[in-house]
Amino acid sequence: MSVVGSPIVLAQHLTKRYGPRRAIANVSFTIAPGEIVGLLGPNGSGKSTIFRILCGYLAPSSGSVAVAGHDVITDSIGVRRAISYVPEDAPLYDHMRVAEFLGFMASIRGLRGAAAARAVEAAAERLDLAGVLTTPAGKLSRGFRQRVSIAQALLGEPQLLVFDEPTSGLDPHQVIAVRDLIRSLAGRHTVLIASHVLPEIEKIATRVMILLDGTLLTSDALKHAATSLTLRLRAAGAEATVRSTLAAIASVHRVAAQAGGGATGAGEPTPYLIDVEPSSSAAAEIVAALAAHGIAVSEITEAAPDLERVFLDLTRRPVKAAA
Amino acid sequence: MKNFTVLLLKEETALFSSPIAYVVMTVFLLIMGYSFTLTLFLSHQPSLVHIFFQMFVLFMLTAPLITMRLVAEERKLRTLEVLLTAPVSEIEIMLAKFVASLSLIALMLLLSGAYAAVLVLFGDPDLGPIYSGYLGLLLFGAALVGTGLLASALTANQIVAALIALSIFLLLWIIDNFGWLLPSPFDALVVNLSLSVHFQPFAVGSVYLSDVGFFLSVALLTLLLSVRALARR
Repeated sequence: MSVVGSPIVLAQHLTKRYGPRRAIANVSFTIAPGEIVGLLGPNGSGKSTIFRILCGYLAPSSGSVAVAGHDVITDSIGVRRAISYVPEDAPLYDHMRVAEFLGFMASIRGLRGAAAARAVEAAAERLDLAGVLTTPAGKLSRGFRQRVSIAQALLGEPQLLVFDEPTSGLDPHQVIAVRDLIRSLAGRHTVLIASHVLPEIEKIATRVMILLDGTLLTSDALKHAATSLTLRLRAAGAEATVRSTLAAIASVHRVAAQAGGGATGAGEPTPYLIDVEPSSSAAAEIVAALAAHGIAVSEITEAAPDLERVFLDLTRRPVKAAA
Repeated sequence: MKNFTVLLLKEETALFSSPIAYVVMTVFLLIMGYSFTLTLFLSHQPSLVHIFFQMFVLFMLTAPLITMRLVAEERKLRTLEVLLTAPVSEIEIMLAKFVASLSLIALMLLLSGAYAAVLVLFGDPDLGPIYSGYLGLLLFGAALVGTGLLASALTANQIVAALIALSIFLLLWIIDNFGWLLPSPFDALVVNLSLSVHFQPFAVGSVYLSDVGFFLSVALLTLLLSVRALARR
């Protein structure tokens, strides 16, 4: 049993090697109960390896992981009772009908008789599977396969739900439905979700970890994004003057004219993105400096934390360092 | 072991929803039926000794077809990931696969009991060799299933799994021919690995504890090794 207040996942210095190839190296992180954590990384960065270790499917080459207080090596069954895994590509037993498959999964999660039937019914209702319960899994569409795979994970009310690329191969309607479903799990379950699709993670997760080449670059990218505030500015005036004025302000880190930002001709305000130190006075300083140079500011707003820029910054850094 | 029944039911469903089980049973019964009829009409002897030796060979050829998909298919389709991230132990998983496959062998033996029934109805056979022959074939089947399961646990390719199992069976079938050529004590060691040397007494009505122990040991050892192979991932 997990202790109240203790992390649901405690991973310490995880390394996994496949022969000479190192899949992940010295990865450490914690996940608190109730969090929806996104694991973001390009294909092949080691996301699935971390998930497989968490679920007790793979043993780490070194390091340790505890899930809900159970060690993955010494108490693998305890870990697997606390966790449900939705693998990428939704593998199912194609010869089984959907109801049969869900019944089987409920049984091996320790549910029997009426309890199993109730759990299957509830999961099927939640994932809108009533119309395909008697269909063999092998004849399901990609979207239904994914929903059946998610439904099996909900059986037995696991503490931690792990989704590996849950919206891969789905159409936009299905993507929205799965995203809403995962968000609805918050509070009742802790959720760990992997994706290489950045907007997907951004819309679902409350915390984002970024993985590259098996190394965890940050365990809270959204917080990282918040350390550099981005302002969106529209100013009428020569771009060179705007740039030189802003460059003279100490709290301004970077100025970029926004391509396709809506300026339609001479005299129209030009849109800029400005990275500044996150302080309440930065916007006022910018407006005052531009006004002193006779440049009118028609708009200055705070942009949302830009995960994409953080991701690109973090994932480019090692390349630059190596160059 | 409370999940064993659930897993066994799943394996039986998988086995009998695949055409392989029916093809194997049909081919087995057709060939054995033809052979039994021919032998009976030619020899006029109420005995199944020849049939048991033919079943022995046919089991070696068909067992890999039954066992090749057991783990290899699950690994290739990635359903093994679903199974091994659920709270079930590797022993329960492999034991269910083993028992389900052995049940098909047992069913084939049960259906072939029609030959014995014909002999009992229309003749006066010595029942001792019939009982011992069936016992030997069941134990032999357990050893084959265990070895086939191990081969399937080592690869994601069903054909490779079948070929590994078949190669092992054929080698252990004829290994006594090479064993006699070796110096003592290696000759006895190698000859005692032979499947045919240990099966022969069963077919003619003799049940030795050493032969029973051999087949049970092979079945148990390969079952344990296949559990290890699954846990090693």
